[in-house]
Amino acid sequence: MIVAGIDVGGKNIHTVIMKNGDILAKAEAPSGIKKGEAAEQLYNETLKQAKLKREDVARVVATGSAAQRVAFADGVIPDATADARGVIRLVPSARTIIDVGGEEGRAIKISPEGKVMDFAINEKCAAGTGTFVDTMARALEMPVEEMAKLSLQSTRSIPMNAQCAVFGESEVVGLIHQKTSKQDISRAVHDAIAGRIASVARIVGLEDDIVMIGGVAKNVGFVESLKRDIGADVVVPNDPDFIGAFGAAAAAAAGVVEEKVEAKVVEKETIEEGK
Amino acid sequence: MAKYKTKGLDCWGKAKELRMKYYKDYAEAHDRGALRWEGGAWTFDAIPQALEGEVHVLTEEPYGASCGANPEVQVRYQEAAEGKWGCARDLCAYLRSYWGSIVLDEFIFGGKWPKADFIFQNHICCSHAKWLQVAAELEGGKVPYFCFDVGVGAYDKIGERQINYVVGQLHDGIEFLEKATGRKLDDEKLIRNVYNTYRSACYWAKTCELNKAIPAPLDEKTMFSLYVLGTLEKSNEAMADFYEKELYPEVKDRVANQIAAVANEQCRMLGDSQPPWGFLRVFRYLEKYGVVSVASLYTFSLIGWWKVNENGNLVPYPTLEEQGITIKDRDHALRLLTEGELKGKLMWAPFYGATYKNDIVTKMAKQWKCDAAIIHLNRGCEGTAQHQMEMKIALANMGMPILTFEGNMADEREFDETRTHRLIDLFVSETLGLKKVAD
Amino acid sequence: MEATEILKQFNDVWELRHEYAKDWKRRTGEKVVLYFCTYAPEEILYAANILPIRVLGGHEAPSLATPHVFDMWCPFCRDCLSQGLKGKYNDYLDGIMIAQSCLHLRQAFGAWEIHVPTPWKYYLCMPNAVRSPRAKPFLAGELAEFKKALEEWTGKTITDQDLDRGIDIMNTNRRLMKQVYEFRKEDNPPITGTEAMTMVWASQLMDKREHNELLKQLLEELPNRKLDRDPGVRLMIIGSENDDRPFMEMVESIGGTFVIDDHCTGSRYFWDEVIPNKDRLQAIADRYCDRVPCPNKDWGTEDCSRTRFPHILQLARDYQVQGAILTQQKFCDPHELDIPSLRRYLEDDGIPCYFLEFEVTVPVGQFRIRVEAFIEQILAEELFV
Repeated sequence: MIVAGIDVGGKNIHTVIMKNGDILAKAEAPSGIKKGEAAEQLYNETLKQAKLKREDVARVVATGSAAQRVAFADGVIPDATADARGVIRLVPSARTIIDVGGEEGRAIKISPEGKVMDFAINEKCAAGTGTFVDTMARALEMPVEEMAKLSLQSTRSIPMNAQCAVFGESEVVGLIHQKTSKQDISRAVHDAIAGRIASVARIVGLEDDIVMIGGVAKNVGFVESLKRDIGADVVVPNDPDFIGAFGAAAAAAAGVVEEKVEAKVVEKETIEEGK
Repeated sequence: MAKYKTKGLDCWGKAKELRMKYYKDYAEAHDRGALRWEGGAWTFDAIPQALEGEVHVLTEEPYGASCGANPEVQVRYQEAAEGKWGCARDLCAYLRSYWGSIVLDEFIFGGKWPKADFIFQNHICCSHAKWLQVAAELEGGKVPYFCFDVGVGAYDKIGERQINYVVGQLHDGIEFLEKATGRKLDDEKLIRNVYNTYRSACYWAKTCELNKAIPAPLDEKTMFSLYVLGTLEKSNEAMADFYEKELYPEVKDRVANQIAAVANEQCRMLGDSQPPWGFLRVFRYLEKYGVVSVASLYTFSLIGWWKVNENGNLVPYPTLEEQGITIKDRDHALRLLTEGELKGKLMWAPFYGATYKNDIVTKMAKQWKCDAAIIHLNRGCEGTAQHQMEMKIALANMGMPILTFEGNMADEREFDETRTHRLIDLFVSETLGLKKVAD
Repeated sequence: MEATEILKQFNDVWELRHEYAKDWKRRTGEKVVLYFCTYAPEEILYAANILPIRVLGGHEAPSLATPHVFDMWCPFCRDCLSQGLKGKYNDYLDGIMIAQSCLHLRQAFGAWEIHVPTPWKYYLCMPNAVRSPRAKPFLAGELAEFKKALEEWTGKTITDQDLDRGIDIMNTNRRLMKQVYEFRKEDNPPITGTEAMTMVWASQLMDKREHNELLKQLLEELPNRKLDRDPGVRLMIIGSENDDRPFMEMVESIGGTFVIDDHCTGSRYFWDEVIPNKDRLQAIADRYCDRVPCPNKDWGTEDCSRTRFPHILQLARDYQVQGAILTQQKFCDPHELDIPSLRRYLEDDGIPCYFLEFEVTVPVGQFRIRVEAFIEQILAEELFV
């Protein structure tokens, strides 16, 4: 059976087409504002890559913060569920998942069967996301990948604000003016984000094996900072940003999906009603 | 086919009527030559309400909650407090709405802001004493202001010394009231008010106790509209009668006849803190999965009085009638009032440590047979949000699945409904493994 | 010893506080108790031969604290908890105590009680109605209970002589620090705001008997100390806990000098002495009720007045302050509740104010721009007076 998974995040969309557990094609693109349209376009491209037509795919499952916008999906699953289903297939010993994307960082505790037991998400005033990394890289006038590699060269720890991205950026500018080396600033940025994510992860408790996924998992500087903060090793699977889509495809294969609910405005209730 | 019978509360209309009359009386007090005063929901209203003549009170938190239930108005009021007065946005959400009302000279129930003749308050969290201190300033700085301290220790530490300290302040408070108003305190009225306070507090607790039944006769969303009367004026005869003679018997009857709050109850939830008032539909969303919130330290103990019995269980505090006590005089009335408040109101306990809160909520979870907990990490109220993460750890150690979500009880700018739904969907469908049972 | 050397010793204690405490323990063989909040009755701890040290943060992101106290609470309090969870005190701490005040610190204490292994813990119900005549006898009763608990723990009775000793140690320290502060009234103070603040931080972290000896030496040096700097604009710093050295140094490098302060790592900590009384515990209770209050205890029983505001204004006048920087730790309710009123109060008296929100680390670069502009504004206004 051929199935597809689509992960529509705030920043990026990932698609995976799978047959009997093997990936036939995958693709990614920015989500943009019109996420539904972008998802459809990317899906069509992925089909082309796999040399398939829509009717060849038995089931499409969407996940991610904008999953409901995928008009052609047969169902949706929550993103943490997709993460869990994806990770457990690749790393059966996984018990803690740390997923850091563009707009959200989350930690998930899973059972040996891959069921979500507990989860925590970065809340307000939390700078532990990919967007924060991008902002800091811009302040340092270098690509994110370069900043990541540079951070590995630093041996100095500089505490930095990671509660508020605006404050954080101000501090980076301040460090630049103090002529702090770019290596040290890069490491400070990664340490700050890692600290935020580690604090979210500690809410669910850190149990081996700890698996890191999401776009920020490709950031070698962040992964190193995270390992240092939590004092433990982390497993980063290949293509960590595709794990959500992979998990959604796995859910499609297993036939475990929620019916898609049409987005609607719920009637406003007042405190007097009580009904 | 629904699992249980369900129907609305017969006394619902009466509750609404009492609430609206309360606000109307406050607004119109001066027209009738009556006194009006501002205080907190936790203030010992029995005392100022014992002044001779007609007296009405505006309690600050329910007013703030009423603003919170109306997000458009709430934002306008809070922006006035933040923009015109200049306060920080992370202060208590109720407080900002209250201050904003005064700054704009608006009363959410209609008309201009009704200025108080005096302020009679007690100090609980960082904000309470200061809330009305600033309100007095905003109202021109001339409003007589009295505040008393109840921070004497948790319910198991209350002895003569602690009671003497509070009662001493209350005697001073009476002197203040008589000087500020030119009226005498009527001891007979005070005594009646104290009996009424006990009735309101104890019968609310008895009503909450009935929620141990399966199915639960009440859901938390409904309970919010019922406990509120005790936050307005516990000492009021009509309020006390409502709790003792209307609500409690009706809920008892529901238990006897297996009438459920939620027809498809399949998962019993423990809650915590105020809900996001502008988004109570979250509870209705949960009910689609048969999830019903049946217990919460906040809902049970904001006005309800409890004690831990010799078996270590939470049980309702006994009324004065049940204790066989006849109030002799003013001092006796004040002592009994203080004792009931300090020993019975378990909401004070978390102020003294996480171990207290953990102990109470774990007992509650067991006794009310809760399957899971949803904790609203309430950025709008530090008093009720204390030790919520410790509570999560304690409940998790019991093996209970827990969802936490950040929000704000009365600031809609701080509540992300879409995100909260996502979290609920994940928790309910994945962690709890529940399917929808209703539309 | 020269003033600079003495001030360096204060800074060393602040930076190496754990090493100091461990060394003190080794030397004396006595216990160390960490207190949360400056309402803690240190007199009684000294009477019991215990070293009281104040909990302060490490200016590091408090990531260990999040599972215990979520992020909307005061970052200083969360940082304090994080230090405990990191085990920074494990090697030497014998006990913790809190004299209740703000909820933020109480939460940190509550989580510490459960998760940081500490042999002895105590919660003191410091009254909130400090202006009520009922508060002083109540607090004396609380102190009696506290004293009894200490006696049970240490196995030693605390006598009146012990209490006199404790009161003397604390009063001497307060008096000497106040004398140092007098020098800051000078046109070109021989001690900067950063140095003065470091002196107070050290007081909270070391044996005050040792601190007193250093203070006496400092007082001998200060009359002859001339700082090679232009004092610039005379500033007051007001607010919640502050031990942000980089911020203080930055302001004092761009044309300002902090000549006075009102916060609990500054004058509010030591301004008032115990007035001796035959009933020692009552005397101590009176002091803590009468001291310059934390905002959350600054309310009354007749009207909406505060006692802290006139005190701040008097300090501003006595120290010829040209502007005030109002700081608060992010989410700090007690100060947030007072700041709009305080601002109006000072500005009505011709003292311009500037507000800054602090975190465990601050964006010094951005703050520099803002404080520079504030200083320029003050100078420009004075030009046209």
